[in-house]
Amino acid sequence: METLRYPHVQETLYREVLSNGLEIVVLPKEGFQKTYATFSTKYGSVDNHFSVSGQEPAKVPDGIAHFLEHKMFEEPEGDIFSVFAAQGASANAFTTFDRTVYLFSATEQINENLTTLINFVQNPYFTDANVDKEKGIIEQEINMYRDNADWRVYFGLIDALYHTHPVHIDIAGTVESIKQIDKETLYRCYETFYHPSNMMLFVVGGVNAEEVFQLVRANQDAKTFQPLGEIKRYFDQEPSSVKIPRKVSKLQVSLPKCMLGFKEKNVGLAGDALLKREIVTKLMLEALIGPSSPLYQSLYEQELISDSFGHEYNSSTDYAFSVIGGDTPKPDTLIEAIKSAVSEAVGSGIEQTSFERAKRKKIGGYLRMLNSPESIAGEYTRYRFRDSDMFDVIKFYEQCTLDEVNARLREHFDFGQLAVSIVEQGTE
Amino acid sequence: MSAFQRGQLERIRLHVLPTNRFKTFAISLFAGLPLQEETVTPVALIPFVLRRGTASTPETINFREKLDDMYGAGFGFDVYKRGDSQIIQFKMDVINDAFVSSEHSLLASSIGFLGDVVTNPLIENGGFRAKYVEAEKETLRKRLEAIVNDKIRYAAERCIEEMCADDPYRLHPLGQRSDIAAITPQSLRETYDQWLNDAALDLYVVGDTTLEEVTKLVRGAFQLKSGSPSAYKHPVTQHDVTEVKNVVDRLEVSQGKLNMGLRTGVGYNDALYPAALLYNGILGGYPHSKLFMNVREKESLAYYAASRLDGHKGICTIQSGIEFANYEKAVAIIKEQLESMKQGQLSDLEINQTKAMISNHLREMQDSAYEMLSYDFNSVLTGKERTAGELLKQVQDVTAEDIVAVAKRVQLDTIYFLRDRKEA
Repeated sequence: METLRYPHVQETLYREVLSNGLEIVVLPKEGFQKTYATFSTKYGSVDNHFSVSGQEPAKVPDGIAHFLEHKMFEEPEGDIFSVFAAQGASANAFTTFDRTVYLFSATEQINENLTTLINFVQNPYFTDANVDKEKGIIEQEINMYRDNADWRVYFGLIDALYHTHPVHIDIAGTVESIKQIDKETLYRCYETFYHPSNMMLFVVGGVNAEEVFQLVRANQDAKTFQPLGEIKRYFDQEPSSVKIPRKVSKLQVSLPKCMLGFKEKNVGLAGDALLKREIVTKLMLEALIGPSSPLYQSLYEQELISDSFGHEYNSSTDYAFSVIGGDTPKPDTLIEAIKSAVSEAVGSGIEQTSFERAKRKKIGGYLRMLNSPESIAGEYTRYRFRDSDMFDVIKFYEQCTLDEVNARLREHFDFGQLAVSIVEQGTE
Repeated sequence: MSAFQRGQLERIRLHVLPTNRFKTFAISLFAGLPLQEETVTPVALIPFVLRRGTASTPETINFREKLDDMYGAGFGFDVYKRGDSQIIQFKMDVINDAFVSSEHSLLASSIGFLGDVVTNPLIENGGFRAKYVEAEKETLRKRLEAIVNDKIRYAAERCIEEMCADDPYRLHPLGQRSDIAAITPQSLRETYDQWLNDAALDLYVVGDTTLEEVTKLVRGAFQLKSGSPSAYKHPVTQHDVTEVKNVVDRLEVSQGKLNMGLRTGVGYNDALYPAALLYNGILGGYPHSKLFMNVREKESLAYYAASRLDGHKGICTIQSGIEFANYEKAVAIIKEQLESMKQGQLSDLEINQTKAMISNHLREMQDSAYEMLSYDFNSVLTGKERTAGELLKQVQDVTAEDIVAVAKRVQLDTIYFLRDRKEA
């Protein structure tokens, strides 16, 4: 067991990798009632073409990682939610582009709940009948998102940015693609990606680290796992250009929704290099377009944006893009206003005071995040799966210089890399 | 479980929970007035205009910069209805100075900021700054129009609106679009003065501080008129249903949204309130509940099928997303669940699971500063003192008979369905 101390944020982390490859991380939070645990696999919606050493590569239907997440909750004895409920735990799961996360939070029976979490995720039970039954439920989930304008504009943007990379495919797949899913394919995906060496258990809250390690060690020692070869993921060559410069969808909305996305040309960064770029870019976006920037205030006064206006930066080794936008009465006027403000900023650079202010804001936001066990577990795992450390984030913010931010500003905002997504009033 | 220290400064009640468990201070000011058709819209507009600037920091950009300089202090507000009141909650959260190298106390700066926003507004020509009022009227209008964008929420709001057609509770907490145009910078100032005079005001602070320190800071930061605190009015929770209302709306949607409104007749003060929590939990609060198990797992009709309890108003609502063609089938299955609860078809397992889930939630609240203060505010709002620890015990003591007693009081009031435009 390794002890990692982070005195600047008054946190201590304990970490261990078991002989089967499972990584366990525990963050005790003194005085907390709650324990929050996530059991995560480095497997998400983008992993639709893969092989394990020696095997023929497999291409699987879109939405299968999410489908698998749904099906894990069913056990031969019945629904696992019922077991968690009897133990007073609230359980859930979610699938992202590159992770599937199973979780619970509880204030009592922590050992029982941890055991349930590990056991149900390590015990797949798929039958033709239960796979078929799930299709109706997921079809309604897909239709629910289709009616959601915020979701449509966001995923519309990613679809406009990417030609071949599966990040542009809906996480839940489509009504057609999920029909092709059967239990054999589910087992194949399960056996590849749910091997302990591809997974991580994170426990945060009012726990004793050594007790957690003992419990998990004993649980894993009682199970046998064949060693897994190296997982290879295949992605078709993604052109550096955007796929569709302007994508418009129609839905019943009171005001159009408009998002601008800039696609990074340079991909392939990993570990600290990836983390550093993410932090510099987020600082740059905050200084340029955050609520205290002159640009934000001017757009607000022209009634081009509302409180829904925001920005984010989404990055991974294979893809990275920024998102800027929100509700607007005039999408084209907003796009032009942002483009001209960005061009001007590229010329003049960001001012020292705006930069310092944005930096303070980001450091404050990061420290606030550490109040939330859910955020800690989510962020720690996300960074860890990309070979970086969430507790380094504050260090990178502190070290970031104005020159780096301005260099990033000039590099990131390339209008050739811009796509826009608009949802406007109407019927498709 | 830790306890709030109470104090009072003129019209503001003070509630402080000293704790060093968090890396932040959480600050909330609740300001409540009776929910009324005549005032709901201008009152809702007040916080939108206040957050544009104050007499000491008139320009919005400087106002936002101040927050960023306080290590990105969070500042925001919510407007909502609880019971028969319209409540504006201002929220701030700021880093505990121990974690950053700040020259000034961030708690003092934050309370100073909040006091400035609420009691030292920017007044020009006898009213609020006209430019801000016009812009925020537009923001409010957009917010009200945007309700239709989220079809799940839209259906939920419409169901309540139909169900409470003859009660102020039908009103949206942000008011009515048709009342916005008439508001002027001067009329809004009058509304504001009235609001500050009449509203029940409760200031909460959770963090590494004391009542003494907070009292001193509030005295320096808030420009207070003398007077004593206002109390909240007790809401009406009794309502007899003579006939079930059936309402269908049509919009462009891919999926039908089915909502049902129930009258429980059990308010927060009622001795049966803990049993009402169990009733809702067993019916549809969790993935082990009857609605999830029967509508989703058995019949694959829906992705979500759940119920929610509004304990302050004595209303329980059911929501589910289904195919249009499955409307009758889904309604029938949901009615069966309501009936089975009246008949007392409750297993020990589901009662115990639900008790465990509610208890877990009550204990987990202690880890969140905002949840602790929001829970405590319930007792201010209702006059019913009941700590989370007491409620925890009462939930454990609920019997199957208590839950059936709630089920027998429950009356189905409204069935609302949002569907597509194509005629069947």
